[in-house]
Amino acid sequence: MSVTDPSQTDLGHTDPDPMRAGRWPRVQAVAIPVVSVLLAFALGGILIWLQGVNPFYAYWVLFENALGSSEGLLRVMQKSTPLILTGLAVTIGLRTGLFNIGAQGQLLVGAIGAAWAGYNFQLPALIHIPFAIAFGMLCGAAWASIAGVLRAYRSVSEVITTIMLNAVAIALVDYLASRPLKEPDQPITRTPPVADSAALPDFGTVPAGFLIALAVAIFFSWFLTRTNQGFRFNTVGMNPNAANYAGIGVKRTIFLAMAVSGALAGLGGAVETLGITGRFEPTFNAGLGFDGITIALLARANPLATIPAALLVGILRSGAATLQFETGIEPEVVDVILALTLLFVAAPIVSRLLLRKKTQKRTSVDSGGGGV
Amino acid sequence: MHRKILAVGIAAAALFLTSCSSSTGEAAPEPAPAASEAAPEPAPAASEPAPAASEEPVSAATMDDSDCAAPANICVGLVTDTGKVDDKSFNQAAWEGTKLAAEELGAFSKYIETTDPKDYANNIAQFAGKSYDVIVTVGFLMGEATIAAAAEYPSVKFIGVDQFQGEPIENLAGLVFDESKAGYAVGYLAGLMTKTNKIGSALGTDTVPPVKLFGEGYKAGALAANPDVKVTLVYHEPNNAFGDPEWGANEARKQLDQGADIIFAAGGATGNGGLIEVAKDPGAGTTVFCIGVDIDQFYTVPQAAKCLLTSAEKKLVSGTQTLVVAAAGGSMTPGNNFGPTGIAPYHDTEGAVPEDVKTKVQEVLAGLEDGTIDTGCPACLDN
Repeated sequence: MSVTDPSQTDLGHTDPDPMRAGRWPRVQAVAIPVVSVLLAFALGGILIWLQGVNPFYAYWVLFENALGSSEGLLRVMQKSTPLILTGLAVTIGLRTGLFNIGAQGQLLVGAIGAAWAGYNFQLPALIHIPFAIAFGMLCGAAWASIAGVLRAYRSVSEVITTIMLNAVAIALVDYLASRPLKEPDQPITRTPPVADSAALPDFGTVPAGFLIALAVAIFFSWFLTRTNQGFRFNTVGMNPNAANYAGIGVKRTIFLAMAVSGALAGLGGAVETLGITGRFEPTFNAGLGFDGITIALLARANPLATIPAALLVGILRSGAATLQFETGIEPEVVDVILALTLLFVAAPIVSRLLLRKKTQKRTSVDSGGGGV
Repeated sequence: MHRKILAVGIAAAALFLTSCSSSTGEAAPEPAPAASEAAPEPAPAASEPAPAASEEPVSAATMDDSDCAAPANICVGLVTDTGKVDDKSFNQAAWEGTKLAAEELGAFSKYIETTDPKDYANNIAQFAGKSYDVIVTVGFLMGEATIAAAAEYPSVKFIGVDQFQGEPIENLAGLVFDESKAGYAVGYLAGLMTKTNKIGSALGTDTVPPVKLFGEGYKAGALAANPDVKVTLVYHEPNNAFGDPEWGANEARKQLDQGADIIFAAGGATGNGGLIEVAKDPGAGTTVFCIGVDIDQFYTVPQAAKCLLTSAEKKLVSGTQTLVVAAAGGSMTPGNNFGPTGIAPYHDTEGAVPEDVKTKVQEVLAGLEDGTIDTGCPACLDN
């Protein structure tokens, strides 16, 4: 395959692959992200130390705040929920050979769609919640489909279209929230609050949205490995030419994968709106879709692995304020740690370090199906 | 294979980093708008801090917040709106004021920078959980979270900077300003400075009272300085009133073309669009000027420095300081507290303003402060 083709991201391959014998790829799939995270924490620790704070104490504060109390755990679950879903959105794209950078835009459109469905109707909760969620997913899917159609039928790079559609989505939701859908008689750009019947409940200290996110991650893990459609996604992702030769409708599959990806991002926005923010306000959703890229890459495009990856990001984000409160370290240090993690996961530094000997023995560890 | 993963990863990392940096904004470690403001502030004369505390300036290094619950220890916390404490705007000014108050009180002070608006309540809870005595929250977007927190933590005193209070709450003081006074002062300056006897404006919506107070004050001040001046007040429609820089730029351009030589731009991004447009005029800083609003916009909109005569300023530093000291001393007034207003330094246009004009503006500022000058507001809201 050609190096310049942006659709050929081979992250899917590093998944535990039932077709390939041997435990090494499986070990590698776990080891690379874990070592990357540890390295990022080590470098982040140096940064913290340079500011005159004991990094062990700083990390203890960070994790103790997030995991040491039921409020902290609730906050971590709340923060992780949309991240699991946007991580899955990017993952589905990667598995099909698509790099969906537009999860942020799809999430925004899904969030405002769910907000509208949430405040504009009065329905029993059993109907209202699924309806509002489904409408948010539909909005996200529709938004991603613009890029999907262009990619599948006009060969326009989805990297370019999704990143540009992010900007369009931001302008669109700003317009909607400041004009047709704006809450009247107050100066802030936001929609009215969603009806109580559309609000996602908490089960004890577990938000319903978190359970939804877990269920969706498990579903897609099954879907990608155990269904025909999932097989088509994977095959197109590995080699569209082979897929075409095997009789898989490549264009249709690419379009479908993009729509599913958008629906997942839209679901993230819907769950966030109905479960946490209670209305749409543009500033509430900043960065969630971009974190999804980090999470999908950290999870090496494995749906189940998005859960721990999102929890890690959730812990860092929810502990950041306490970190500043207790140590004076600026909250952006967690962004530095996440960015470093991403660099280590994505760049082959860690795999080179880890796998030097192994790669010499086994000529190709992760180039299997793609064939460079 | 590796090369591809690398390329994707670097692209993603770059994206991630840019998305982060844009949210934090450009933060430079420069001195505050406070520098200009702190100087004329009266020294904390009456209540000398206890001898032990006055030996060296109170700072995070000499005190900590491990025992804020003890009556002798005063702890003051500040939660920023999304943004940094060196944003050269509301967050920074409120923090400067809080620090000055803490020095005056011999108190411990600390801040948390909010990165996600969903964390307002949690960030306030960090301080409340440590028995802080006074918590300052910045910006009208935090108004609802502050009211909720005031109900949840009745023993903590809250100060909402730029938060208008409807029903007064016992432990919550909102720092607000009489915008008509600041508007009057810059209007007076504009009335003296105009050569064409035409001055204009690009304002956020008149359905938001503070904006209308700025505008009406501006008009009244200009007419008081120069009865022949023609003042154009243009308000944005209510929707998206503060987020429309193109409209601000178009209005400014239109009025300059019609012969106005000073534009007062007040209304968030809408107004900033107007300021930047005026700065592009060939006569900017010599024959054509702009006037900013709220804080010293020389720092917040450096692109407009060339034309920026001054800004109709809410003195957030001293306003916050006064309220924090009152709250810590138990003399806080619930509900709305009016802070001082004024005008920002002239900066780059210093040389363009004649000395006698500066003197007259100083007199007007003094008159506004002691109440001998009436801006005609709030009755002007009915205009």
